[in-house]
Amino acid sequence: MAILAIHPGAYYHIESFEAPRYAGYFDALVRPEDLPDTDLSAFNVVIIPCRTPVDRMAQHKAQLQAYLDGGGTIVATGESESQLFLPGITFMPQPTNFWWWLTPGADLGVRIAAPGHDLFSRLTQRDVTWHLHGWFDPPDGVEVLAVNGEGKVILYVDEVTTRGRMVITSLDPFYHHGSHFMPATTRFLDGFLPWIRAAYDRNPQQ
Amino acid sequence: MSVLFVHSHFGPPPAGYAGDERLTVIREAELTEGHIDVARGIITTTHLDQIGWLEHMPAVSRLLERGGNWFFNGHVLRRFLPGLDLYRPLERPKRADFAMVRLSEHPIFAGIAQKSLEENKGVAGFYGRGHNPLPAGGVAVNGIGPALLPIDWEWRLPGGGRVFSHAGNDLGGMGGEAGHGALLTSRIIAWANGEI
Repeated sequence: MAILAIHPGAYYHIESFEAPRYAGYFDALVRPEDLPDTDLSAFNVVIIPCRTPVDRMAQHKAQLQAYLDGGGTIVATGESESQLFLPGITFMPQPTNFWWWLTPGADLGVRIAAPGHDLFSRLTQRDVTWHLHGWFDPPDGVEVLAVNGEGKVILYVDEVTTRGRMVITSLDPFYHHGSHFMPATTRFLDGFLPWIRAAYDRNPQQ
Repeated sequence: MSVLFVHSHFGPPPAGYAGDERLTVIREAELTEGHIDVARGIITTTHLDQIGWLEHMPAVSRLLERGGNWFFNGHVLRRFLPGLDLYRPLERPKRADFAMVRLSEHPIFAGIAQKSLEENKGVAGFYGRGHNPLPAGGVAVNGIGPALLPIDWEWRLPGGGRVFSHAGNDLGGMGGEAGHGALLTSRIIAWANGEI
């Protein structure tokens, strides 16, 4: 049982990782600068949260690639420009409409693309809907979990690019939950973090 | 001597902070004790690496002891200074809990009605959703909610240094519908520079 979260140290990271609500989902926290001294192979999952500054991650690109090549799982949430330090990611930013919900009856357009997937026994469409920062053009063969109103991918699982697995999303739940803002982001983490634990934090020998 | 704008997030600094000759914009990861030791003031943002910032606090304390200024945006979640307590969020806030009142006049807010910063597109809650507790000897500038919790305050320390706390998103971006953002940003720089 081992999930490692990279801890960039902004208040929203501190609130998300250290406050009692979710602290139990992170078995260890590591500062980006301490990654070279960390044996990532000891962890089943490495989480890179929203708004991790790229210039604190880019120098660790080879280490992350090696971890993935060894079968590891990396979970990366939005607004971290993860295409600059993780393989196989093509990200297309889009203007964010923070105000769509002010129009009565409006629909942001986010849709669950794989309703039968285990994650969606824990999350509803409402729990993945707050706003959008962009979408991905992922490699063929990934498992698409959620899309925006134009059918573009915003959450997927990539088991084709490396020997490991990447769970990639443009959604930014840690930032908003950790800011005590946007209840949907808290509902998202209420389902997403237990799913990560159940689905991917397995002993490889079992 | 200038004001350090500590640039913590990836991407360009916020509007109003680039190109001001009173400022030196520096990436947080490149900040050294030497920069702080020759600064007149410091502005930190909501994206500050608060864990890393603890290592800078001896130099920041020296800056405050010699009369310098630190403008802090965000939620205090590390104990940076004796007397500074941790952020307290509003619990299940409703609209009335986001009402704001000017509690003390302050040059950063002169001529700006606090009410005008309360909403953005008719929605309240962007300015802030809690408070960093007021240190003993601090002066509450703006209060939020029926309890008038000190969402903005200034604290003058024994050495003459000052800390200003804004417990929300970066104040310079919180100009509200009246468009006070550029004025607030300019005044935050002036305050950190000791002009006001």
